[in-house]
This record gives sequence, structure tokens and C-alpha cells, in this order.
Amino acid sequence: MNSFFRVLTVCLFSTPLLAQGAEDFLRSTGKIYSVVVVICILFLGIAVFLYRLDRKITKLENQIKHEQ
Amino acid sequence: MTNKSSILINGIWWKASGIIIFLYVLIGGMLVPLGPGVTAITPSNAVAGDTVVLEISGYNTHFTDAQNCNAWLKLDSNHLIKAYSIRSLSQKKLKAAFVLPDSFPSVAQVYTLSLVLDNEFDGVFIQPAALFVSAKTVISDALSGEWKNNFDIVFHERQGIFFPYRSILNETIRNTFFHVALWFAMFILLLIGVVYAIKYLRKGNYDDDIISSSFTAVAVMYGVLGILTGSVWAKFTWNTFWTNDVKLNMTAVALLIYLAYFVLRGMHQDQDRRAKFSAGFSIFAFTALIPLVFVIPRLTDSLHPGNGGNPALGGEDLDNTLRMFFYPSIIALTIMGLWMSQLMIRAMRIKDNILTR
Repeated sequence: MNSFFRVLTVCLFSTPLLAQGAEDFLRSTGKIYSVVVVICILFLGIAVFLYRLDRKITKLENQIKHEQ
Repeated sequence: MTNKSSILINGIWWKASGIIIFLYVLIGGMLVPLGPGVTAITPSNAVAGDTVVLEISGYNTHFTDAQNCNAWLKLDSNHLIKAYSIRSLSQKKLKAAFVLPDSFPSVAQVYTLSLVLDNEFDGVFIQPAALFVSAKTVISDALSGEWKNNFDIVFHERQGIFFPYRSILNETIRNTFFHVALWFAMFILLLIGVVYAIKYLRKGNYDDDIISSSFTAVAVMYGVLGILTGSVWAKFTWNTFWTNDVKLNMTAVALLIYLAYFVLRGMHQDQDRRAKFSAGFSIFAFTALIPLVFVIPRLTDSLHPGNGGNPALGGEDLDNTLRMFFYPSIIALTIMGLWMSQLMIRAMRIKDNILTR
């Protein structure tokens, strides 16, 4: 849970930096790169979700191992 | 032992289809070109009776390739002025000269004219409110000869598939497939979640609580992503990450209610009480979501394209080429959500097995 929020805050705070630092680039060619940013956020969100689920399952596996 | 509901769908085919459909949306949604449009026009003001030379900057236009470039200034469908001379400076720059008539068909201080451009490569496209013309003090009833009407003109039509050009939105119209579809998928997943919550309250089967909470978890993840992607989109269209737009605030409220669902869920130690509480809460949260997201934003005006009033999925906001990718995107994101929630359900069932052993 803790690491999930850490990744989430990194995602949250990196977008303004990205938008300010490379404003001109992101706005070039009809703002197409903002669509790329949106797709990256979508992908990252799903990746973080799967990572959390992975850890949950690892915990369960360890529990089963201990019981045996 | 609790009996298991048959929510798990066997096989790899549906998971693969979700990925393939999403790939289609990703590739098609990024590769289909945007239609032609106008980014800037100088000058933007003129006085009636003047001769005005407009310098037009286009986007995705083919001004030099086209042989038959035409331009009109349009007051309404019965009143157009044709450019008397047109010169293309480059593919994206065009100069069009107009003689503005002294007299206008209606009486006003300022007339707002749209610019209609037409050529055989790009087809016909319109820039609304392109030129503001101040009226002369003398207004005569007799119209001078420059005015034409819409019906004699044969416009070209652009071949092939392309997304509509909207000013401000530009290429970000593609976000429809990734941001708007996310909300639709979220709603479908929440609906499944609330159906299983009701099922739990009726039968008291703990497995239904596992299913309900898993679907809600994935849906809330989609909701958070929806807020984040919407925030980035807003930065590039409305120039701010967050506005006081009703739709934004109401979805934020709805999402906070759902986040409270997980916080309060974690507080209950007793399995039975937790399940009962979360089933009740998710029904409450879902019934709160409907007016917050679907009703209130329609009662007032919203910055969202096609909001205020009753937009539905019709009209000019969702064009047929957008539909080709928008609906598949909803399906793909829903399938991927189903997949993720099934993984959660399986994990939580194993956890339940360990606890009850």
C-alpha cells in the first residue's frame, strides 16, 4: 500500500514538471504529445495496480508455504 | 464453506480479444489523421465596404497541392461572399482577398462572419467567427451584388477517414478513446459491483462480497486514472489542471465517496460485518454517483465538450469516425477491467480459503 502511494505521488508530481519543462514540445503538432502523456498515465496506472496485486499474491503464497 | 458464484470466465480468448481491441484503438486512434482546420486568421476585424486580405493559417491542409482553392465569408446559409482572389503561400498558408459589401441583410453593430474554405484535397471546412465586421452607419435595404447563397455552390468532400478538427482540442480529440472511454468502463464495472453487493445482501454469501469489492476496486482505479488523464487533458485545452467545472467537482465528490468505501472497509475486523457494511455502502455510493455525474452537470453549463443540456452521444460531438474507436475502446477497457478484477477475486478467494482453514 505504501509503495503504491509513493508511485502515485511520483506520477502526480511529475506531470506538472513535464508540462512546464517541456511545454512547447508537448504543445507542438496540434498537442499530440498530450495524448501520449494520457496514454502513459493509463498504462502506468494499470501497471501500478498489477504490481500491487502481484505483491498481494506473493504474500498469500508465502502464507501457504509457512503453513506447509 | 461458502459456495462460489460463477463470475470467472474460463479461457484465454476473451482476454486476448480485450488486448487486440485495445491495440486496434491505440494504433487506429493514433494513426488516423485529423481533418483540415484553421488555426489563425489575420486580421480578425474589418469595416463594411472595405477590401480585406485575410492571411489564413491551416492545420493538415494542402493549399499548394490543391488546384481549386475557394474561400467564402459566410453570414448565414443564404448570405456568402466569395473571395475574388486566392493565393497559397505554402501548404498551410493561404491569402484570400474579399470585398466586403456596404450593406448587410440584417441590422447590427457588428456582424460575425464564418470562413468557409474548400479544395479538392481537404474538402470543405469551416472556421466559425473568423471575421468581425463593424457596420457602416448607413444601412440600405437594397443588398449589393456580392452576396451569394449556399445552394448554388458545389463543395468538395474529403476522401478517406479522418477525425474532425476542433479548435482548441486539435489532436487531443483522440483522448476521447482513452479518457472518456475510461469513465464508461468504470461505470460498467461499478454496475457489476453493485449488482453483487445487492446479491450479497439478499443471500449473505461471502463470495459475493469478494466479487463486489474486487470490481469496485478496479473501477475506482479507473476513476483515479480518469481524473489524472482528464487533468492532463485540461492543462492542454483549458490551460489549468483543475477548474471549478461542475463535472470535475462532482466526479471528485463521487470518487471520494468510493475512496471512503475502502477506508471504512479496512476498519472493520469482523468479516461478516465488513461484508454487510460494504454492500450497503456501495449501493449508497452508486446511487450517489448517478445524480453527481449524470444529472447535476447537465443542469448547469460545463466546459466539457457537448455538455450542458442533454448531450447524449449524438450530434456533432461524437462523429462517426470517432465512434469507430470510441465504442471498441469502452469494450476493451471493460474486458481488461474484468480480467483485473478476476485476478483480484482469485487472490481474495485464496486468502479466504487460508483464513477459514
